[in-house]
Amino acid sequence: MVQSAKPVPPIWCPGCGDFGLLASVKRAAADLKIPPHDLVLVGGIGCSGSIHNFLEINGIHALHGRLLAQAVGVKLANPHLTVVAAGGDGDGYAIGMGHFMHAFKKNASILYIVMNNETYGLTKGQPSPTSQIGFEGNIEQPFDAVLSALSIPAPNFIARTFSGDPKTMTAVLEEAIRFNHEHRGFAFVEDLSPCVTYNDTYKLWREKVLDLSKLPGYDPTNRQAMFKLYLETVEQGKIPIGVMHRPKEVQPAGLEAKLLGDAVGPARADIDIAANLPAYEKLLASVA
Amino acid sequence: MTTPATHTTPISGEAGPVESPRPLELSDLSVMIGGQGGDGTLTVSDLLGRYFRKCGLYVYTSRNVLSRIRGGHADASVRASRDPISAVKPQVDVLVAFDNEAIEMGRVELASHGFILYDSTGFHTDLPNSVGFPFATLVGGPLGQPIFKNTAAYGALSVLLGFDPAKTRGVIEDRFKRRGGEALEKNLKALEIGRKAALESPGVANRYAVLEGDAHDLVLTSGNQAVALGFVVGGGRFFAGYPITPATEVMEYLQRYLPPLGGVVRQAEDELAAVNMIIGAAYSGARVMTSTSGPGLSLMTEGIGQAGTAEIPIVVADCQRVGPSTGQPTRHEQSDLSHLANLGHGEYPRFVIAPGTPEDCFSMTVDALNLAEKWRVPVILLLDQALCQNTTTAARFDLTGVQVQRASRLRPEEVSAMTEYKAYRFTDDGISPYAPPGTPGVWAEITGNEHDEWGHVSVNMANRVRMMKKRMEKMVRALPDLPPARLFGDPSARVGLIGYGSTSGPIRETQTILAARGLPTRYFQARTLYPVPVAELDAFLKGVDVAYVVEHNYTGQFARLVREHLPWHHEKLRSILKYDGASFRTPQIIAEIKEAA
Repeated sequence: MVQSAKPVPPIWCPGCGDFGLLASVKRAAADLKIPPHDLVLVGGIGCSGSIHNFLEINGIHALHGRLLAQAVGVKLANPHLTVVAAGGDGDGYAIGMGHFMHAFKKNASILYIVMNNETYGLTKGQPSPTSQIGFEGNIEQPFDAVLSALSIPAPNFIARTFSGDPKTMTAVLEEAIRFNHEHRGFAFVEDLSPCVTYNDTYKLWREKVLDLSKLPGYDPTNRQAMFKLYLETVEQGKIPIGVMHRPKEVQPAGLEAKLLGDAVGPARADIDIAANLPAYEKLLASVA
Repeated sequence: MTTPATHTTPISGEAGPVESPRPLELSDLSVMIGGQGGDGTLTVSDLLGRYFRKCGLYVYTSRNVLSRIRGGHADASVRASRDPISAVKPQVDVLVAFDNEAIEMGRVELASHGFILYDSTGFHTDLPNSVGFPFATLVGGPLGQPIFKNTAAYGALSVLLGFDPAKTRGVIEDRFKRRGGEALEKNLKALEIGRKAALESPGVANRYAVLEGDAHDLVLTSGNQAVALGFVVGGGRFFAGYPITPATEVMEYLQRYLPPLGGVVRQAEDELAAVNMIIGAAYSGARVMTSTSGPGLSLMTEGIGQAGTAEIPIVVADCQRVGPSTGQPTRHEQSDLSHLANLGHGEYPRFVIAPGTPEDCFSMTVDALNLAEKWRVPVILLLDQALCQNTTTAARFDLTGVQVQRASRLRPEEVSAMTEYKAYRFTDDGISPYAPPGTPGVWAEITGNEHDEWGHVSVNMANRVRMMKKRMEKMVRALPDLPPARLFGDPSARVGLIGYGSTSGPIRETQTILAARGLPTRYFQARTLYPVPVAELDAFLKGVDVAYVVEHNYTGQFARLVREHLPWHHEKLRSILKYDGASFRTPQIIAEIKEAA
């Protein structure tokens, strides 16, 4: 047994919602029997983005806001890897917003978890893109990532979970990773993960979350129905959670499947000259 | 048949009077084609280039276009010679003009024996040595569209230059056969319309004769194409980019070349995504590259810094254009070097290497991939617009000397024999062997935060110092691996020239001219710019009394870098600068050397 990097203790405050997510990620990886060397966690910048340090897996710490671009690169280079990108709401919805919207469009089979606490915790409590009006002087409309995700007509997996409900969270994460394994595309899970120090919303969210799967008319394969159900729930002052979209068609629609088919991918391709000689000679001869 | 507007006076030089013209034989010919964007000037340039190649001539083409799809003045130049050439000819022998603006702009560079062939559909000129045919009108009737006027102009030009009719036609067939049927047929008709007009006009046919050459076993290519080819054979399999002039063709070539080899090319949503996608792919173990120009480079700077400190091997091709900001997107400059030498906040190693020819572009892209992977650093392949987009005859690309070296890459069997795997292990040479994710039994933390050998975030001061040294010393340790300079000219000359990139072309032609005039020079073509090759430069500068650093920027960026690193040679260094958006012409370099002499 070769000794690899050991996990370090989390830097999070006691009671942080991110602990719940960490536990669920561990459970999901164990349940799905993914060996640690085949699991890559791409971390963003912020408290949540340090999660890769606390697991016995491959971790890469991306630049602020760029974790999705790096995660897509990791996956396209080696489609065999299970790739999870994890960061916060500031990382994903502010500085990383461009890549966030494009990730749905690209549809590479990676799981993106946003630990949404409606604040910038690591820099001590500034308003974030999801902060409610009035929080720390915020006068801007909070951004609803799940609603935005539903607006992109791509075959993605979209869900929202709550750190106060780890059982449901683990089930959702397992489904999302399975979705990735089947090369079906991009999976987005927003986890409501309270910041106990700067924005302790545990009590509020426990009262407000509503699992849409318990409502009549719930059908995550029907985008139109989910939009309606979602908006009605929000209008009632509730926060919708659960699986919001899951494509009806079970097929490998992921970007890596479209690009590579059964090929091993750029990282594992044989790039030895001898192995490519006829192709190279043909290519070079085509220059006139 | 419309009567051509012809105004001819006897041409100077060896040619005879108009009444019984003997062709003026040219062994080094330059044709400029000008008009509005969309007139098809680049197509005429391409057709001429193909014709001259069929004649075994060396060819150099350049373009002067605006950053817009249609309209605005655009011109292209084709030079053909029996001897090797690598720059724009200072004088134009024949000007092909689709409008009056093209004449006004082109005649400035027209040689005394020069001739103007123009489309007289919309205007007329009384200039001497000119002939106009209404190409747009002539093709508009039979072909239904005036756009074939450019092929008609090529036809008339072929008569003026005494081209072989079969070869002339063969060029059209080669160019349009892929588009097939109607495109080919209409272009062949347009060619004949142009030829007929010129043949029926007295004093036009065979005014010039293009001598054949023997440079048959060469290809006509651009730096951008050579970079793309080098990337493929160097084992590059993942490319992400964002469209930007003059770098886009690298991505376009690779979109054709890579997928059949199991490679991936992605057009990203911006340059931030492009550089971060290649970082992710390199982390996975692929050989990667992006190509960009100034504005994109600025956006990629943070990512390149992460690659430097997280020790992720990436290659960034910077196709320099006029900056800063949007600058002049289609024009030539070499003004990114100061930025690259100090790239980003904080300190990290990076190698900046600069090819000077398509052959260099091919081999040095392979070098860049090998260097990046061996030393686990970002490598900048520094190019410039003229090198990227001008086409020139080059040696046929082959695999001689191409090696794929994966020096720092751990194979699974090597990993399983280890007791521990640390992605940032301290080693004697500063290189930490790397096992990408997916290697059975091991995993690691990779981060741009300061880290210990395991990749864990660390603020330990002793570790910080040791890690900084480990990374920064790569710029010293790697020196023997970096591409050496090339020296040209008289090794005992007291006048030195220093330059890099496409500037090597006009510099070497300057050397030939000066040598013929009794002034020997020697030229140092720098191929590694950063870290500054101090030992190489010192040896060169010791041997000369004066050295002119020839570069395309206002502040003398390379000269400043040389001065900073070799202050003892300060007195010998002079700058020859050009920053008007066009590449050097030999007369400017010669004049500035003579002025100082």
